[in-house]
Amino acid sequence: MAGVNLSKIVKAYGSVQVVHGIDLMVEEKEFVVLVGPSGCGKSTTLRMIAGLEEITAGDLTIDERRMNRVAPKDRDVAMVFQNYALYPHLNVADNMAFGLRIRKMPGAEIKATIKDVAEVLGLTEYLDRRPADLSGGQRQRVAMGRAIVRHPKVFLFDEPLSNLDAKLRTQMRAEIKRLHNRLGVTSIYVTHDQVEAMTLADRIVVMNDGAIEQVGTPMELFNNPANTFVASFLGSPPMNQLKGTLTASGVRIGATEIKLSSAISSHAGRDVIVGIRPEHVTLSAGAQSSRLPIMLDLVEPLGSEALLHARYEDATMVFKVDTNGDIDHLSGVSEVHVPADTVKLFDAETGIALHLGA
Amino acid sequence: MAEEHTSAAGQPLQEAVIEAQEARRQGFNDGQLTRLFDHFKREWQVYAMLLPTIIWFLVFLYKPMYGLQIAFKDYSIFRGVAGSPWVGLEHFQTLFTNDQFLRAVGNTIKISALNLIFGFPAPIILALMFNEVLHASYKRTAQTIVYLPHFISSVIIAGIVITAFSPTVGIVNTIMGWFGLDPIYFLTRPEWFRPIFVGAGIWQEAGFGSIIFLAAIAGVSPSLYESAVVDGANRWQMMWKITIPSILPTILIMLIIRIGNVMEVSFELVILLYQPATYETADVVNTWIYRQGLQSGQYDLAAAGGLFNAVVAFVLVMTANTLSRRFSRTSLW
Repeated sequence: MAGVNLSKIVKAYGSVQVVHGIDLMVEEKEFVVLVGPSGCGKSTTLRMIAGLEEITAGDLTIDERRMNRVAPKDRDVAMVFQNYALYPHLNVADNMAFGLRIRKMPGAEIKATIKDVAEVLGLTEYLDRRPADLSGGQRQRVAMGRAIVRHPKVFLFDEPLSNLDAKLRTQMRAEIKRLHNRLGVTSIYVTHDQVEAMTLADRIVVMNDGAIEQVGTPMELFNNPANTFVASFLGSPPMNQLKGTLTASGVRIGATEIKLSSAISSHAGRDVIVGIRPEHVTLSAGAQSSRLPIMLDLVEPLGSEALLHARYEDATMVFKVDTNGDIDHLSGVSEVHVPADTVKLFDAETGIALHLGA
Repeated sequence: MAEEHTSAAGQPLQEAVIEAQEARRQGFNDGQLTRLFDHFKREWQVYAMLLPTIIWFLVFLYKPMYGLQIAFKDYSIFRGVAGSPWVGLEHFQTLFTNDQFLRAVGNTIKISALNLIFGFPAPIILALMFNEVLHASYKRTAQTIVYLPHFISSVIIAGIVITAFSPTVGIVNTIMGWFGLDPIYFLTRPEWFRPIFVGAGIWQEAGFGSIIFLAAIAGVSPSLYESAVVDGANRWQMMWKITIPSILPTILIMLIIRIGNVMEVSFELVILLYQPATYETADVVNTWIYRQGLQSGQYDLAAAGGLFNAVVAFVLVMTANTLSRRFSRTSLW
């Protein structure tokens, strides 16, 4: 097992810099998820850790050994690729044995290792099949098996679930989590799916435009996003963001004033962005909540919950409310109530989170 | 009084039944015909593009089949194909008792075997080598140079070969002279014909033939190589364990096609390079047919030789295809 440390890592293709000096310490046995939109540099970062991309500047250490110039095979990492990268001409057993044979492991040992891992992954009965004869989920398991058999110091996952359908993705997500709990290998996982990031990660690294926006546990990032980008990226539906102005006791959004729990009177008049999580609003008034009148646009039932698509003045918003088994009563909703302690404030210009009077 | 039944269109039922039976007899009903018509109407551009190929096949491959019957006739150009009397398998009996024909069959098989052993792997090796070249402009230049001979006429190729192996001005004999070796008139020596012929064929076609394998290599997912790199494979191992197995279906398809052409040794180049002194090793079935048919006017015997060639090729391609499908899941059809 080993920790991975990225220090001022830069990646440039000619004059175009795509990763701008990122710093990240992944602790031993930790499961870290790099998440961000397409083109944010998360896969490039992962590939630099794997050794598939050269590091332009900065230092990469694995288990306290500098790896910048070390060949991928000598980094003791195993990678699971988005398209599984299974050899189509080899059966499952041979696919899993590929790396071991390259490393000249004795045949009997290879056989025993594959047998063990196949049992863990439920692949025993498929060992003679070729990838073309497997389902997407089975292929994904083979790809993971190929990584596991090598007993590497670090697992690298490059969007491994993105080719699966939604149901299978949920299953495989749980399997990956269980596997990590069982093996305890340091893992770095890249995804653009915030649900995967929230459910799998010990810590999430939110990346945007080649830089790290915030690092923290899933709940830290969800509850205290560092900026509007993180706030909008994590959470489904994303946080509603409205323009507002601070007053002596709260924040004014258009014609409505929302009460805040913190003392912000000294900042009155400051322009801010008000963040309201869709699931934080209620349909009935509470002791410390403010009424927000809305024009209901659409109700999307999800079963126990429903999404209310609504407009307030020029802004469009989405709220998530309990249905209590019935959505008929939701069609007449004309206001929601915003609890004072759930409102997030961000600087109107920079988008950075404000912690006023805290 | 019996009531006269009518169809939905007001047509007497009996008439409609007869029409339906007629349509069924012709293999179509109204719905199918309409769908077929709609299909042609919708996709006419595709069929228009297909038409030249169909015409080519009909004119050059199917229509000549009519003439195949002269292999079983005592053909005379004055009586024509239809007017010539049938002689059964007489020409085939003649063929298989003709030493020259049997020698030609033997030469064809030997030259084809050499072509398969040395000529078939050459473009694959070339493609694998090009795939390992990392310098883009060097790769492009090298590819252009090896593709070029394909675009040169066989007559020029033969001219180059004849000049290169000339005992007086040829580069081969000149080099041999530097080492004190006596000049050899290679093209008059039967033992040299096959190596020279096969070598010239490789030089002319290996480069161009490598394109299809390069295309197959380009289709191999880069993530397979990346995965192998992380697993610790070097370039040699990646070539053997990833590239070659990945392009194996293409190799097998090309092999089946090649086996189907075993009896079709490059006729032009043989005609241009051989001479009576080298007939012993150079005369192939096609050149024998050419001499019998066009030079001696024995069209019926030549047609029998040609038919024999075609039947052997058909059997070979069917066998190769079946074996390939059984053992590698790859086949032409």
